[in-house]
Amino acid sequence: MIRVNNVSMKFDLGIDKGSSFKNMFISFFDKKRRRKKEYFWALNNISFHVKKGEVIGLIGSNGAGKSTLLKVVSGVMKPTKGKVVVNGSIAPMIELGAGFDAELTARENIYLNGAVLGYSEKFLNEKFDDIVEFSELRDFLDVPVKNFSSGMVAKLAFSISTVVDPEILIVDEILSVGDIKFQEKSRNKMMEMIKGGTTVLYVSHSIESIKELCDRVIWLDHGNIVKIGPAKEVCSEYYLSQMGETEEESIKRRKEEKKEEEKSKKKKK
Amino acid sequence: MKVIKNIISNFKRYSFLMKQLILRDFKVKYKRSVLGIVWSLLYPVLMMLVMAMVFSQMFRYNMEGVNYLVYLMTGLVMFNYFSEATNSAMTSVVTNFSLINKVYIPKYIFPIAKALFVGINFLLTLIPLLVIILITGSGETKCVINLWYLLLPYIFVCLLFFTMGIGLFLSTVSVFLRDMFYIYGIIITIWNYVTPIFYDISIIPLALQPIFKLNPLYIFINGARSIILYGTPPSFLELGVMLLIGVGTLAIGSLVFKKNQDKFIYYV
Repeated sequence: MIRVNNVSMKFDLGIDKGSSFKNMFISFFDKKRRRKKEYFWALNNISFHVKKGEVIGLIGSNGAGKSTLLKVVSGVMKPTKGKVVVNGSIAPMIELGAGFDAELTARENIYLNGAVLGYSEKFLNEKFDDIVEFSELRDFLDVPVKNFSSGMVAKLAFSISTVVDPEILIVDEILSVGDIKFQEKSRNKMMEMIKGGTTVLYVSHSIESIKELCDRVIWLDHGNIVKIGPAKEVCSEYYLSQMGETEEESIKRRKEEKKEEEKSKKKKK
Repeated sequence: MKVIKNIISNFKRYSFLMKQLILRDFKVKYKRSVLGIVWSLLYPVLMMLVMAMVFSQMFRYNMEGVNYLVYLMTGLVMFNYFSEATNSAMTSVVTNFSLINKVYIPKYIFPIAKALFVGINFLLTLIPLLVIILITGSGETKCVINLWYLLLPYIFVCLLFFTMGIGLFLSTVSVFLRDMFYIYGIIITIWNYVTPIFYDISIIPLALQPIFKLNPLYIFINGARSIILYGTPPSFLELGVMLLIGVGTLAIGSLVFKKNQDKFIYYV
Protein backbone atom coordinates (compact mmCIF):
# COMPACT_ATOMS: atom_id res chain seq x y z
CA MET A 1 0.00 0.00 0.00
CA ILE A 2 2.66 2.45 1.08
CA ARG A 3 6.33 1.80 0.41
CA VAL A 4 8.91 4.21 1.71
CA ASN A 5 12.39 3.34 0.47
CA ASN A 6 15.51 5.03 1.87
CA VAL A 7 13.85 8.41 2.08
CA SER A 8 15.94 11.38 3.20
CA MET A 9 14.80 14.93 3.45
CA LYS A 10 17.22 17.82 3.55
CA PHE A 11 16.34 21.37 4.52
CA ASP A 12 18.58 24.32 3.80
CA LEU A 13 18.58 26.43 6.93
CA GLY A 14 20.31 29.33 5.19
CA ILE A 15 17.41 30.19 2.90
CA ASP A 16 15.75 32.55 5.30
CA LYS A 17 18.98 34.28 6.26
CA GLY A 18 20.87 34.63 3.07
CA SER A 19 18.58 36.05 0.46
CA SER A 20 18.79 39.71 1.34
CA PHE A 21 20.68 42.04 -0.94
CA LYS A 22 23.01 43.11 1.87
CA ASN A 23 24.11 39.53 2.47
CA MET A 24 24.52 38.88 -1.22
CA PHE A 25 26.64 41.98 -1.51
CA ILE A 26 28.81 41.11 1.46
CA SER A 27 29.36 37.53 0.42
CA PHE A 28 30.26 38.62 -3.07
CA PHE A 29 33.22 40.68 -1.91
CA ASP A 30 34.15 38.97 1.29
CA LYS A 31 34.77 35.32 0.75
CA LYS A 32 35.42 34.63 4.41
CA ARG A 33 32.04 35.81 5.43
CA ARG A 34 30.31 33.84 2.73
CA ARG A 35 27.84 31.80 4.67
CA LYS A 36 28.53 28.14 5.04
CA LYS A 37 25.86 25.86 3.73
CA GLU A 38 23.80 24.90 6.71
CA TYR A 39 21.76 21.79 6.26
CA PHE A 40 19.34 19.96 8.40
CA TRP A 41 18.31 16.42 7.70
CA ALA A 42 14.71 16.18 8.80
CA LEU A 43 14.56 12.57 7.66
CA ASN A 44 17.48 10.23 7.40
CA ASN A 45 17.29 7.11 5.30
CA ILE A 46 13.81 6.08 6.35
CA SER A 47 12.39 2.82 5.02
CA PHE A 48 9.19 1.02 5.89
CA HIS A 49 6.23 -0.69 4.31
CA VAL A 50 2.61 -0.42 5.26
CA LYS A 51 0.20 -3.16 4.26
CA LYS A 52 -3.40 -2.60 3.29
CA GLY A 53 -5.64 -2.09 6.30
CA GLU A 54 -2.80 -1.56 8.73
CA VAL A 55 -2.91 1.26 11.23
CA ILE A 56 0.52 2.72 11.79
CA GLY A 57 1.31 5.15 14.58
CA LEU A 58 4.17 7.62 14.49
CA ILE A 59 5.68 8.75 17.77
CA GLY A 60 8.64 10.86 18.71
CA SER A 61 9.44 14.14 20.39
CA ASN A 62 8.84 17.52 18.75
CA GLY A 63 10.99 17.96 15.65
CA ALA A 64 11.59 14.25 15.24
CA GLY A 65 10.34 14.38 11.66
CA LYS A 66 6.83 12.99 12.05
CA SER A 67 5.01 15.71 10.18
CA THR A 68 7.70 15.87 7.50
CA LEU A 69 7.28 12.15 6.95
CA LEU A 70 3.52 12.58 6.57
CA LYS A 71 4.06 15.37 4.07
CA VAL A 72 6.45 13.25 2.05
CA VAL A 73 4.00 10.35 1.98
CA SER A 74 1.07 12.57 0.99
CA GLY A 75 3.07 14.12 -1.84
CA VAL A 76 3.23 17.67 -0.47
CA MET A 77 7.02 17.41 -0.39
CA LYS A 78 9.32 15.55 -2.71
CA PRO A 79 12.03 13.64 -0.83
CA THR A 80 15.61 14.76 -1.41
CA LYS A 81 16.65 11.14 -1.76
CA GLY A 82 14.79 7.88 -1.92
CA LYS A 83 11.39 6.92 -3.17
CA VAL A 84 7.82 6.85 -1.95
CA VAL A 85 5.28 4.62 -3.64
CA VAL A 86 1.65 4.94 -2.66
CA ASN A 87 -1.13 2.80 -4.10
CA GLY A 88 -4.58 4.15 -3.45
CA SER A 89 -6.40 7.39 -2.77
CA ILE A 90 -5.11 9.48 0.08
CA ALA A 91 -7.10 11.70 2.43
CA PRO A 92 -4.60 13.95 4.14
CA MET A 93 -5.84 15.37 7.42
CA ILE A 94 -2.58 17.09 8.15
CA GLU A 95 -3.98 20.40 9.14
CA LEU A 96 -7.69 20.91 9.30
CA GLY A 97 -9.19 23.86 7.54
CA ALA A 98 -6.08 24.68 5.55
CA GLY A 99 -8.19 25.43 2.50
CA PHE A 100 -10.72 27.67 4.16
CA ASP A 101 -11.27 31.21 3.07
CA ALA A 102 -12.31 33.29 6.07
CA GLU A 103 -14.42 35.64 3.97
CA LEU A 104 -16.61 32.88 2.60
CA THR A 105 -19.55 31.26 4.36
CA ALA A 106 -19.53 27.73 5.72
CA ARG A 107 -21.58 26.57 2.74
CA GLU A 108 -19.12 28.04 0.25
CA ASN A 109 -16.17 26.69 2.19
CA ILE A 110 -17.54 23.16 2.11
CA TYR A 111 -17.33 23.28 -1.67
CA LEU A 112 -13.98 25.05 -1.78
CA ASN A 113 -12.34 22.78 0.78
CA GLY A 114 -13.92 19.72 -0.78
CA ALA A 115 -12.42 20.70 -4.12
CA VAL A 116 -9.05 21.23 -2.48
CA LEU A 117 -9.24 17.72 -1.05
CA GLY A 118 -9.94 16.40 -4.52
CA TYR A 119 -13.66 15.59 -4.24
CA SER A 120 -15.81 15.83 -7.33
CA GLU A 121 -18.75 18.18 -7.64
CA LYS A 122 -21.23 15.31 -7.82
CA PHE A 123 -19.81 13.71 -4.72
CA LEU A 124 -20.03 16.97 -2.78
CA ASN A 125 -23.62 17.55 -3.82
CA GLU A 126 -24.51 14.08 -2.61
CA LYS A 127 -22.65 14.34 0.65
CA PHE A 128 -23.42 17.96 1.46
CA ASP A 129 -26.13 17.11 3.98
CA ASP A 130 -23.99 14.47 5.66
CA ILE A 131 -21.23 17.01 6.15
CA VAL A 132 -23.56 19.61 7.59
CA GLU A 133 -25.24 17.03 9.80
CA PHE A 134 -21.98 15.74 11.19
CA SER A 135 -20.59 19.21 11.83
CA GLU A 136 -23.68 20.27 13.84
CA LEU A 137 -23.46 23.67 12.17
CA ARG A 138 -26.69 23.78 10.18
CA ASP A 139 -27.74 27.07 11.77
CA PHE A 140 -24.50 28.75 10.77
CA LEU A 141 -24.31 27.64 7.15
CA ASP A 142 -24.48 31.15 5.74
CA VAL A 143 -22.18 32.82 8.23
CA PRO A 144 -18.68 33.74 7.05
CA VAL A 145 -16.13 31.43 8.60
CA LYS A 146 -14.20 34.38 10.02
CA ASN A 147 -16.99 34.74 12.60
CA PHE A 148 -16.67 31.12 13.71
CA SER A 149 -14.97 30.07 16.92
CA SER A 150 -11.88 27.91 16.44
CA GLY A 151 -13.84 24.91 17.68
CA MET A 152 -16.51 25.45 15.05
CA VAL A 153 -13.92 25.77 12.30
CA ALA A 154 -12.33 22.52 13.41
CA LYS A 155 -15.68 20.75 13.47
CA LEU A 156 -16.50 21.87 9.97
CA ALA A 157 -13.06 20.91 8.69
CA PHE A 158 -13.18 17.48 10.32
CA SER A 159 -16.60 16.82 8.86
CA ILE A 160 -15.46 17.71 5.35
CA SER A 161 -12.31 15.64 5.42
CA THR A 162 -13.89 12.51 6.90
CA VAL A 163 -16.86 12.31 4.57
CA VAL A 164 -14.83 10.27 2.08
CA ASP A 165 -13.92 6.63 2.43
CA PRO A 166 -10.31 6.94 1.41
CA GLU A 167 -8.03 3.97 0.99
CA ILE A 168 -5.32 5.72 2.95
CA LEU A 169 -5.93 8.17 5.75
CA ILE A 170 -3.19 10.43 7.03
CA VAL A 171 -3.97 11.95 10.39
CA ASP A 172 -1.90 14.44 12.31
CA GLU A 173 -3.07 14.98 15.86
CA ILE A 174 -6.69 15.91 15.22
CA LEU A 175 -8.73 13.80 17.57
CA SER A 176 -8.84 16.59 20.10
CA VAL A 177 -11.23 18.66 18.04
CA GLY A 178 -14.21 20.56 19.36
CA ASP A 179 -16.15 19.98 22.58
CA ILE A 180 -16.32 16.72 24.51
CA LYS A 181 -19.35 15.49 22.64
CA PHE A 182 -17.77 16.14 19.26
CA GLN A 183 -14.48 14.58 20.38
CA GLU A 184 -16.33 11.39 21.16
CA LYS A 185 -18.10 11.57 17.82
CA SER A 186 -14.89 12.14 15.86
CA ARG A 187 -13.18 9.31 17.68
CA ASN A 188 -16.03 6.97 16.76
CA LYS A 189 -15.85 8.11 13.16
CA MET A 190 -12.13 7.34 13.10
CA MET A 191 -12.71 3.91 14.61
CA GLU A 192 -15.37 3.25 12.03
CA MET A 193 -13.00 4.12 9.21
CA ILE A 194 -10.25 1.98 10.68
CA LYS A 195 -12.57 -0.98 11.06
CA GLY A 196 -13.74 -0.48 7.50
CA GLY A 197 -10.26 -1.47 6.32
CA THR A 198 -8.71 1.94 5.75
CA THR A 199 -4.95 2.10 5.93
CA VAL A 200 -4.00 4.76 8.44
CA LEU A 201 -0.88 6.74 9.24
CA TYR A 202 -1.47 8.39 12.56
CA VAL A 203 0.62 10.93 14.45
CA SER A 204 -0.12 11.72 18.07
CA HIS A 205 1.55 12.63 21.31
CA SER A 206 -1.11 10.76 23.20
CA ILE A 207 0.44 7.37 23.87
CA GLU A 208 -2.94 6.19 25.06
CA SER A 209 -4.71 6.73 21.73
CA ILE A 210 -1.76 5.34 19.79
CA LYS A 211 -1.89 2.15 21.79
CA GLU A 212 -5.62 1.95 21.38
CA LEU A 213 -5.75 2.50 17.62
CA CYS A 214 -2.52 1.28 16.09
CA ASP A 215 -1.26 -2.12 15.05
CA ARG A 216 2.32 -1.07 14.60
CA VAL A 217 4.27 1.96 15.72
CA ILE A 218 7.24 3.76 14.21
CA TRP A 219 9.36 5.64 16.72
CA LEU A 220 11.25 8.53 15.15
CA ASP A 221 14.04 10.56 16.65
CA HIS A 222 15.96 13.31 14.85
CA GLY A 223 14.91 11.96 11.51
CA ASN A 224 15.96 8.40 12.22
CA ILE A 225 13.84 5.37 12.90
CA VAL A 226 14.63 4.18 16.41
CA LYS A 227 12.27 1.29 16.32
CA ILE A 228 9.42 -0.25 14.39
CA GLY A 229 7.26 -2.87 16.01
CA PRO A 230 4.03 -3.83 17.74
CA ALA A 231 2.30 -0.81 19.27
CA LYS A 232 2.52 -1.81 22.93
CA GLU A 233 6.15 -2.81 22.84
CA VAL A 234 7.41 0.33 21.08
CA CYS A 235 5.18 2.65 23.10
CA SER A 236 6.37 1.39 26.45
CA GLU A 237 9.98 1.56 25.35
CA TYR A 238 9.42 5.10 24.08
CA TYR A 239 7.79 6.08 27.34
CA LEU A 240 10.72 4.66 29.29
CA SER A 241 13.26 6.60 27.26
CA GLN A 242 11.37 9.87 27.52
CA MET A 243 10.32 9.79 31.14
CA GLY A 244 13.10 7.69 32.66
CA GLU A 245 10.63 5.13 33.99
CA THR A 246 8.02 2.76 32.67
CA GLU A 247 4.37 3.74 32.52
CA GLU A 248 3.47 1.39 35.37
CA GLU A 249 6.17 2.92 37.50
CA SER A 250 4.93 6.42 36.92
CA ILE A 251 1.38 5.45 37.74
CA LYS A 252 2.63 3.82 40.93
CA ARG A 253 4.77 6.83 41.76
CA ARG A 254 1.86 9.22 41.25
CA LYS A 255 -0.29 7.16 43.54
CA GLU A 256 2.36 7.23 46.22
CA GLU A 257 2.82 10.96 45.85
CA LYS A 258 -0.89 11.42 46.28
CA LYS A 259 -0.89 9.29 49.41
CA GLU A 260 1.92 11.31 50.91
CA GLU A 261 0.17 14.53 50.08
CA GLU A 262 -2.92 13.33 51.88
CA LYS A 263 -0.83 12.24 54.81
CA SER A 264 0.80 15.64 55.14
CA LYS A 265 -2.57 17.34 54.86
CA LYS A 266 -3.85 15.20 57.71
CA LYS A 267 -0.83 16.07 59.77
CA LYS A 268 -1.44 19.78 59.28
CA LYS A 269 -4.96 19.38 60.49
CA MET B 1 1.48 12.90 -27.36
CA LYS B 2 1.64 11.32 -23.94
CA VAL B 3 2.50 14.65 -22.34
CA ILE B 4 -0.52 16.31 -23.90
CA LYS B 5 -2.75 13.42 -22.81
CA ASN B 6 -1.42 13.82 -19.28
CA ILE B 7 -2.08 17.54 -19.25
CA ILE B 8 -5.66 17.04 -20.44
CA SER B 9 -6.46 14.33 -17.90
CA ASN B 10 -4.95 16.47 -15.16
CA PHE B 11 -7.06 19.42 -16.25
CA LYS B 12 -10.19 17.29 -16.15
CA ARG B 13 -9.33 16.01 -12.72
CA TYR B 14 -8.74 19.43 -11.24
CA SER B 15 -11.28 21.42 -13.23
CA PHE B 16 -13.68 21.43 -10.27
CA LEU B 17 -11.00 22.87 -8.03
CA MET B 18 -10.20 25.44 -10.70
CA LYS B 19 -13.86 26.40 -10.85
CA GLN B 20 -14.05 26.70 -7.08
CA LEU B 21 -10.94 28.88 -6.93
CA ILE B 22 -12.31 31.20 -9.61
CA LEU B 23 -15.67 31.31 -7.84
CA ARG B 24 -13.93 32.18 -4.59
CA ASP B 25 -12.12 35.07 -6.23
CA PHE B 26 -15.39 36.40 -7.57
CA LYS B 27 -17.17 36.13 -4.23
CA VAL B 28 -14.33 37.68 -2.27
CA LYS B 29 -13.78 40.45 -4.79
CA TYR B 30 -17.30 41.79 -4.69
CA LYS B 31 -18.17 41.05 -1.11
CA ARG B 32 -19.38 44.09 0.81
CA SER B 33 -19.39 46.36 -2.24
CA VAL B 34 -22.78 47.88 -3.02
CA LEU B 35 -22.42 47.78 -6.80
CA GLY B 36 -20.74 44.38 -6.81
CA ILE B 37 -20.13 42.99 -10.25
CA VAL B 38 -21.32 46.23 -11.89
CA TRP B 39 -17.87 47.56 -11.04
CA SER B 40 -16.40 45.25 -13.68
CA LEU B 41 -18.43 47.19 -16.25
CA LEU B 42 -18.15 50.61 -14.72
CA TYR B 43 -14.48 50.68 -13.82
CA PRO B 44 -13.00 50.50 -17.33
CA VAL B 45 -15.52 53.07 -18.59
CA LEU B 46 -14.61 55.55 -15.89
CA MET B 47 -10.90 54.92 -16.42
CA MET B 48 -11.32 55.49 -20.12
CA LEU B 49 -13.24 58.72 -19.54
CA VAL B 50 -10.54 60.06 -17.25
CA MET B 51 -7.80 59.25 -19.72
CA ALA B 52 -9.77 60.56 -22.67
CA MET B 53 -10.34 63.79 -20.78
CA VAL B 54 -6.68 64.13 -19.82
CA PHE B 55 -5.32 63.44 -23.28
CA SER B 56 -7.84 65.15 -25.49
CA GLN B 57 -8.51 68.18 -23.30
CA MET B 58 -5.30 68.80 -21.35
CA PHE B 59 -2.68 67.59 -23.81
CA ARG B 60 -4.81 68.44 -26.84
CA TYR B 61 -3.92 65.08 -28.28
CA ASN B 62 -5.93 64.31 -31.36
CA MET B 63 -6.03 61.55 -33.93
CA GLU B 64 -7.54 62.60 -37.25
CA GLY B 65 -10.26 60.38 -38.62
CA VAL B 66 -10.16 57.91 -35.73
CA ASN B 67 -12.73 57.30 -33.05
CA TYR B 68 -10.41 58.13 -30.17
CA LEU B 69 -12.69 56.74 -27.43
CA VAL B 70 -12.84 53.34 -29.10
CA TYR B 71 -9.13 53.48 -29.87
CA LEU B 72 -8.35 54.22 -26.21
CA MET B 73 -10.82 51.77 -24.74
CA THR B 74 -9.64 48.83 -26.87
CA GLY B 75 -6.05 49.32 -25.80
CA LEU B 76 -6.98 50.00 -22.21
CA VAL B 77 -9.18 46.94 -21.77
CA MET B 78 -6.60 44.60 -23.24
CA PHE B 79 -3.66 46.09 -21.42
CA ASN B 80 -5.52 46.15 -18.11
CA TYR B 81 -6.34 42.50 -18.51
CA PHE B 82 -2.70 41.65 -19.02
CA SER B 83 -1.52 43.85 -16.18
CA GLU B 84 -4.06 42.67 -13.61
CA ALA B 85 -3.85 39.01 -14.56
CA THR B 86 -0.05 38.81 -14.49
CA ASN B 87 0.06 40.70 -11.21
CA SER B 88 -2.36 38.43 -9.40
CA ALA B 89 -0.88 35.32 -11.00
CA MET B 90 2.52 36.42 -9.72
CA THR B 91 1.36 36.59 -6.09
CA SER B 92 -0.92 33.54 -6.30
CA VAL B 93 1.63 30.91 -5.35
CA VAL B 94 2.99 32.86 -2.40
CA THR B 95 -0.45 33.78 -1.03
CA ASN B 96 -1.73 30.22 -1.28
CA PHE B 97 1.26 28.80 0.50
CA SER B 98 -0.75 27.56 3.49
CA LEU B 99 -2.58 25.28 1.08
CA ILE B 100 0.45 24.14 -0.86
CA ASN B 101 2.16 23.23 2.39
CA LYS B 102 -0.67 21.02 3.59
CA VAL B 103 -2.39 19.27 0.75
CA TYR B 104 -1.05 17.97 -2.53
CA ILE B 105 -2.43 20.16 -5.31
CA PRO B 106 -0.73 20.78 -8.63
CA LYS B 107 0.67 24.21 -8.02
CA TYR B 108 0.21 25.57 -11.53
CA ILE B 109 -3.49 25.67 -10.80
CA PHE B 110 -3.13 28.92 -8.86
CA PRO B 111 -1.59 31.19 -11.53
CA ILE B 112 -3.76 29.60 -14.23
CA ALA B 113 -6.92 30.12 -12.17
CA LYS B 114 -5.98 33.77 -11.69
CA ALA B 115 -5.41 34.33 -15.41
CA LEU B 116 -8.81 32.78 -16.11
CA PHE B 117 -10.59 34.68 -13.35
CA VAL B 118 -9.31 38.03 -14.60
CA GLY B 119 -10.13 36.75 -18.09
CA ILE B 120 -13.80 36.39 -17.18
CA ASN B 121 -13.67 39.92 -15.86
CA PHE B 122 -12.11 40.95 -19.15
CA LEU B 123 -15.03 39.45 -21.04
CA LEU B 124 -17.37 41.56 -18.93
CA THR B 125 -15.42 44.70 -19.81
CA LEU B 126 -16.06 43.95 -23.48
CA ILE B 127 -19.71 44.87 -22.89
CA PRO B 128 -19.01 48.56 -22.20
CA LEU B 129 -16.51 48.51 -25.08
CA LEU B 130 -19.26 47.27 -27.38
CA VAL B 131 -21.63 49.97 -26.11
CA ILE B 132 -19.04 52.64 -26.82
CA ILE B 133 -18.45 51.24 -30.31
CA LEU B 134 -22.18 51.47 -30.96
CA ILE B 135 -22.93 54.91 -29.55
CA THR B 136 -19.86 57.04 -30.32
CA GLY B 137 -18.48 58.50 -33.51
CA SER B 138 -20.18 59.84 -36.58
CA GLY B 139 -19.46 59.80 -40.27
CA GLU B 140 -15.84 58.93 -40.81
CA THR B 141 -15.19 57.97 -37.18
CA LYS B 142 -18.19 55.69 -36.88
CA CYS B 143 -17.05 52.11 -36.19
CA VAL B 144 -19.01 49.33 -37.80
CA ILE B 145 -19.36 45.82 -36.50
CA ASN B 146 -18.04 43.56 -39.22
CA LEU B 147 -17.40 39.96 -40.09
CA TRP B 148 -13.77 40.15 -38.98
CA TYR B 149 -14.99 40.35 -35.36
CA LEU B 150 -14.94 36.57 -35.57
CA LEU B 151 -11.16 36.87 -35.42
CA LEU B 152 -11.23 38.72 -32.09
CA PRO B 153 -11.64 35.57 -29.94
CA TYR B 154 -8.57 34.17 -31.66
CA ILE B 155 -6.56 37.26 -30.69
CA PHE B 156 -7.88 37.15 -27.13
CA VAL B 157 -6.95 33.48 -26.75
CA CYS B 158 -3.42 34.26 -27.93
CA LEU B 159 -3.31 37.08 -25.39
CA LEU B 160 -4.58 34.68 -22.70
CA PHE B 161 -1.80 32.19 -23.49
CA PHE B 162 0.77 34.95 -23.43
CA THR B 163 -0.57 36.19 -20.08
CA MET B 164 -0.57 32.68 -18.60
CA GLY B 165 3.02 32.16 -19.69
CA ILE B 166 4.20 35.41 -18.14
CA GLY B 167 2.12 34.69 -15.01
CA LEU B 168 3.68 31.25 -14.57
CA PHE B 169 7.14 32.69 -15.04
CA LEU B 170 6.56 35.57 -12.59
CA SER B 171 5.01 33.35 -9.92
CA THR B 172 8.08 31.11 -10.09
CA VAL B 173 10.57 33.95 -9.83
CA SER B 174 8.68 35.71 -7.03
CA VAL B 175 8.81 32.60 -4.83
CA PHE B 176 12.60 32.81 -4.75
CA LEU B 177 12.91 36.56 -5.01
CA ARG B 178 10.13 38.43 -3.25
CA ASP B 179 11.57 41.68 -4.62
CA MET B 180 9.90 40.72 -7.87
CA PHE B 181 6.61 42.15 -6.59
CA TYR B 182 8.13 45.62 -6.60
CA ILE B 183 10.30 45.18 -9.65
CA TYR B 184 7.33 44.04 -11.69
CA GLY B 185 5.33 47.04 -10.49
CA ILE B 186 7.94 49.25 -12.15
CA ILE B 187 8.16 47.07 -15.23
CA ILE B 188 4.42 47.15 -15.81
CA THR B 189 4.37 50.95 -15.49
CA ILE B 190 7.09 51.26 -18.11
CA TRP B 191 5.32 48.68 -20.25
CA ASN B 192 2.15 50.73 -19.97
CA TYR B 193 3.87 53.79 -21.40
CA VAL B 194 5.80 52.10 -24.19
CA THR B 195 2.64 50.40 -25.41
CA PRO B 196 0.67 52.75 -27.65
CA ILE B 197 -2.55 52.74 -25.64
CA PHE B 198 -3.48 56.41 -25.52
CA TYR B 199 -1.19 57.58 -28.30
CA ASP B 200 -0.51 56.40 -31.81
CA ILE B 201 2.76 54.74 -32.72
CA SER B 202 3.34 57.48 -35.35
CA ILE B 203 4.38 59.94 -32.63
CA ILE B 204 7.38 57.76 -31.83
CA PRO B 205 10.61 58.68 -33.70
CA LEU B 206 10.83 56.66 -36.89
CA ALA B 207 14.07 55.00 -35.86
CA LEU B 208 12.51 53.65 -32.66
CA GLN B 209 9.27 52.44 -34.18
CA PRO B 210 10.52 48.94 -35.17
CA ILE B 211 11.50 48.34 -31.55
CA PHE B 212 8.10 49.44 -30.29
CA LYS B 213 6.48 47.12 -32.76
CA LEU B 214 8.25 44.12 -31.20
CA ASN B 215 6.17 44.58 -28.04
CA PRO B 216 3.83 41.55 -27.96
CA LEU B 217 1.08 43.59 -26.34
CA TYR B 218 1.28 46.10 -29.19
CA ILE B 219 0.89 43.26 -31.68
CA PHE B 220 -2.24 41.97 -29.92
CA ILE B 221 -3.78 45.41 -29.37
CA ASN B 222 -2.94 46.56 -32.88
CA GLY B 223 -4.58 43.49 -34.35
CA ALA B 224 -7.77 44.02 -32.38
CA ARG B 225 -7.80 47.73 -33.25
CA SER B 226 -7.45 47.21 -36.97
CA ILE B 227 -10.53 45.00 -36.87
CA ILE B 228 -12.61 47.21 -34.59
CA LEU B 229 -11.62 50.63 -35.94
CA TYR B 230 -11.07 50.00 -39.63
CA GLY B 231 -12.69 46.68 -40.34
CA THR B 232 -9.47 45.27 -41.77
CA PRO B 233 -8.14 41.95 -40.50
CA PRO B 234 -4.51 41.43 -39.45
CA SER B 235 -2.39 39.71 -42.09
CA PHE B 236 -1.77 35.98 -41.96
CA LEU B 237 1.76 36.72 -40.86
CA GLU B 238 0.53 38.82 -37.94
CA LEU B 239 -1.97 36.16 -36.91
CA GLY B 240 0.76 33.55 -37.05
CA VAL B 241 3.08 35.69 -34.96
CA MET B 242 0.35 36.13 -32.33
CA LEU B 243 -0.13 32.38 -31.98
CA LEU B 244 3.60 31.86 -31.85
CA ILE B 245 4.01 34.46 -29.12
CA GLY B 246 1.10 33.04 -27.10
CA VAL B 247 2.01 29.37 -27.32
CA GLY B 248 5.74 30.05 -27.08
CA THR B 249 5.44 32.14 -23.93
CA LEU B 250 3.09 29.64 -22.35
CA ALA B 251 5.52 26.83 -23.12
CA ILE B 252 8.49 28.69 -21.67
CA GLY B 253 6.53 29.79 -18.59
CA SER B 254 5.27 26.25 -17.97
CA LEU B 255 8.75 24.82 -18.36
CA VAL B 256 10.29 27.28 -15.88
CA PHE B 257 7.45 26.63 -13.45
CA LYS B 258 7.69 22.87 -13.78
CA LYS B 259 11.46 22.83 -13.33
CA ASN B 260 11.24 24.74 -10.06
CA GLN B 261 7.94 23.81 -8.45
CA ASP B 262 9.37 21.12 -6.19
CA LYS B 263 11.61 23.70 -4.56
CA PHE B 264 8.76 26.13 -3.80
CA ILE B 265 7.97 24.53 -0.49
CA TYR B 266 11.34 25.49 1.00
CA TYR B 267 11.09 29.14 0.05
CA VAL B 268 7.56 30.24 0.80
